Order: sequence, then structure tokens, then C-alpha cells
Amino acid sequence: MTASQIRFFSLVRRECNRFFKIKRQTVGAPLLETFLYISVFGAALGTRIDTLQGVDYVVFIIPGLILMAWAINAFTNNASSILQQKFQRAIDDQLSSPASPLQLLLAFSLGGFLRGMIVAALTFVAASLLVGLPVENIHVLLPALFLVGFFFAQLGVLVGVRAEQFDDVAFAQTFVLQPLIFLGGVFYSASLLPEPFQTLTRFDPVYYMIGLVRYGFLGISDGGSVAVSLAVLTAATLALFMLNHRLFVRGYKLRV
Amino acid sequence: MHDPGVPTALAITDLAKRYPTGTEALRGVSLDIEAGEFFGLLGPNGAGKSTLIHCCTGLAQPTAGSIRIFGHDAVGHYEEARTAVGLAPQDVNLDWFLTAEETLDYHGGYFGMPKPERRERTKELLDAFSLTEKRGERTRTLSGGMKRRLILARALMHRPRLLILDEPTAGVDVELRLELWRYVQRINEEGTTILLTTHYLEEAERLCDRIAFINDGQIVARGTSRELASEFAVESLEDAYLELVGRMELSRAKPEEIAP
Repeated sequence: MTASQIRFFSLVRRECNRFFKIKRQTVGAPLLETFLYISVFGAALGTRIDTLQGVDYVVFIIPGLILMAWAINAFTNNASSILQQKFQRAIDDQLSSPASPLQLLLAFSLGGFLRGMIVAALTFVAASLLVGLPVENIHVLLPALFLVGFFFAQLGVLVGVRAEQFDDVAFAQTFVLQPLIFLGGVFYSASLLPEPFQTLTRFDPVYYMIGLVRYGFLGISDGGSVAVSLAVLTAATLALFMLNHRLFVRGYKLRV
Repeated sequence: MHDPGVPTALAITDLAKRYPTGTEALRGVSLDIEAGEFFGLLGPNGAGKSTLIHCCTGLAQPTAGSIRIFGHDAVGHYEEARTAVGLAPQDVNLDWFLTAEETLDYHGGYFGMPKPERRERTKELLDAFSLTEKRGERTRTLSGGMKRRLILARALMHRPRLLILDEPTAGVDVELRLELWRYVQRINEEGTTILLTTHYLEEAERLCDRIAFINDGQIVARGTSRELASEFAVESLEDAYLELVGRMELSRAKPEEIAP
């Protein structure tokens, strides 16, 4: 391995080490939360809802729950990790190393991305065992999930870099992220909503992400064209990545 | 004297730093530290010592001027420059999630050290700083003195050629201060160039080959302790410092000298 590869691997290892050290909070709790959603919305409410778009209600909501697990964990991990290290100034150890802004950004991004992936994968395994989840379009599912994970990882980095107190992260998660995810149609089909809510939902980017993931798993979607959604998601993720890279190059709120 | 075959350890030219708030922390600082030197930078709080160090280590971005570390541009070609520098900051900035051993191992990784070398160096430094028994403990559980020692060990992990110590003995007890002095003297004797900032004039006098006074973002005097005293026609470094800085923020200031 070259010095640069060792450097990058160490940066990523540190980010993963952080969430594994508090795995009850970072992996266990989200897993339990997802299980509770499946129990309450699927098992309890699902008995009163027959099918949605031709599939059992509990099966209908699981793709959205997997997306939600990946998105929220990717976001929370990165925002918290960066803010906490800024707060302690422990981040100076990485910032004063020879690591490039790109290496630093990718390493911080991958921490949350991988944590989200682990929680999402465990949710998938548990859901498959419980209800038998199909995978209809893996060629759409994998890029969609990876893009969603990377998009929210970038969003977490952005919020973490900009944040000056823990309240800033909590605000973004509670007042922006969760409403977008919940109102994006994790637990229902947007086609069931009355106007103007059905139209409003179409302005929620998460609606299209859920559409992609649901199409990947179940082969059904009310989120518009798969190709257009994938293209827009790719463009949005790239734009966010480039913005973050610019912030890291400038040292925005990281270097004085 | 400068050996033409060896690049200057730290060459700062016309360095300026203006913070977004408008504060001019550095105003045209120029400074040369030769390889192998033990150099002291003295100045009152807010004089620009930490800003200068942050500019040298990439933690602050200079507004103007240049910094070369062993010939490498610290801003444009920071990879080589930062590899040559070890920083022990003023504040304890250890990562709470890491153990003492991990702190050193990750730091070595950030500087591209292969695993076997990291393992060997970690063991060596934990032994040298009497931290071996605490290697598996998270940093937040260490005592103040242990944290300070770990910070110094971390700065030395990648075998820097230039070690920057930003008030390393601030707030530590006499025993640890003497221990740290002995250690940094030994490192210097082994060839590492050291830049030390301190409020303790006794520390600077005892350890440093040359000293510079910084005040209000400018280097106002430089030389050996004796040269500085002689230049200002005073008895000691302390008197020279008082003459220049005109403040009473000194470790050896007598209580009766401090205005109520």
C-alpha cells in the first residue's frame, strides 16, 4: 500500500471505529426502531389494510424502511462525527495531516455510508426472514440504494461542517430530514393522498428515491420514470459532493 | 549558522493572517529556524503565537506570505511539508472515542506509516511516556498529565523533523514539566528541530538556542537570551521581554508588581 492509501484507509477506519464503539446506539437502536415500525405499521395496521398496489401492506412499506434506515444513519453519523470532532478539536489531527481535502471528505462520507449500509442490510435480512421480501430489479435497486446512501452521507457532512452546536444537527434531522422521509411515502402510496397533498408530495425529493427503491424490490412504483429519477438523483448527489469538496478545499468552518 | 547543504527547517516570509472578523493576527511575520535548532517564540496572550503555528500546520490559512518547511511550501505542496511537522497543541484535543494506543496508531496511519512500523513506534512511545499500562484505556479517562504526555507522543509518532510545541507545559505540575523538558531536550539532541511557544521565560531560557518575541502580530526582537538582554541593556530575558511587551503576564512576575 502507498502512504496515500494507508492514510485514506486510516481515516475511514477511524470513522468506522467510532460507530462500532457505540454500536448499541449506532447499529442496535436503528435496527430496533425499524423492527418496531414493521411491527406497528405492518403487523398491527397492516391487518386492516389489505394490499397496496397489489402487494401486502407490510411488504409495501419495507423498501421505504430500508431506505429510511440507510438515509438517516448515513446523515446522523456524519453530521455527529464531524461536529463532535470539531467540538473537541480532535479533527485537527486529521486536518494537520498530509491528507488531501478529497481524502478527508471521502473518509467522513464513507463512515456514515457504511453505517447506513450495515443497518439497511440487517433490516433487509430481518425483513426477508419475517415476510419474504422479493428483489425484482436488482439493477435499479443497487444503484438507487447506493446513491441514496451517498446522498444522505453528503448531506450529513454538509450539516456537520456547517454546524456550530449539537442543536444544529438535531434541527436538521428533526425538522428537515424526517418530515421529508415520512412525507415521501414510506408508509403509504402517494396516489392515495387527496389533493393538494398528492401534488405537494411530488416536490419532495425523497418521494422519487422511495419510488426507485420500491421499484427495485417490488417492481412497482408511483414515483415517475425510473431513468429520470436515477439521473436526477445522480446529479443531485454529485452536486452535493462537489459543494462539500469545495468547502473542504476552503476549509470552511474547519480551518480558521 | 545556516548550513547551505541543509534546507532551513522553517522559513516564514511576510506572513499575514486576517480572520474573517477583521482581526489581523499576523502582520508580516518573517522568521527562519535552522535545522536542529531549539527555537522559542514568546509573547503575551493574543500576540499571534498560536495563529502562526496554525498557519504552519494547515489549521489556518494565511492571508499573505509564504511558509516553507525544509524547503517545501506548506500551503501549495502541503503533503511533504506536513509530513515533516509534528504538532503538540496548546489544548488537549484527544479523541474521546479512542484509546491511547489507537490515538497513536491512527495518527501514524494519517501520516502513511505502514502497520508494522506503527505497531513498533506505538509501543516505543507508550513505553517512553510511561503510558503502556494505560494503552487500552480511552483518552477521556486519562489524568491531565497522561493526556499531555499522550499529546506529545502523538506529535512524535511519525518521526517529524520539526516538532512544534504550543505551550506544552501550561497547567502541568513541576514534576511533569521537568520530565517533558528532559524529553524534548533529548529529542532535540537527536536532531529534531523544535519550535516552542511558552509563557514561561525560565523554560525558554533553559531550553532554547534562540528566542523571538512576538507582539501584536509582529516579531519585535530575536536572538539568544543573552543577545536580547544586551540589545535592550537589561539584566535578563525577563527584563528584555517586559521592556518589549510591557505587560505583566509572566510566570515569574511578582504579585506586588501586578497592578491591583
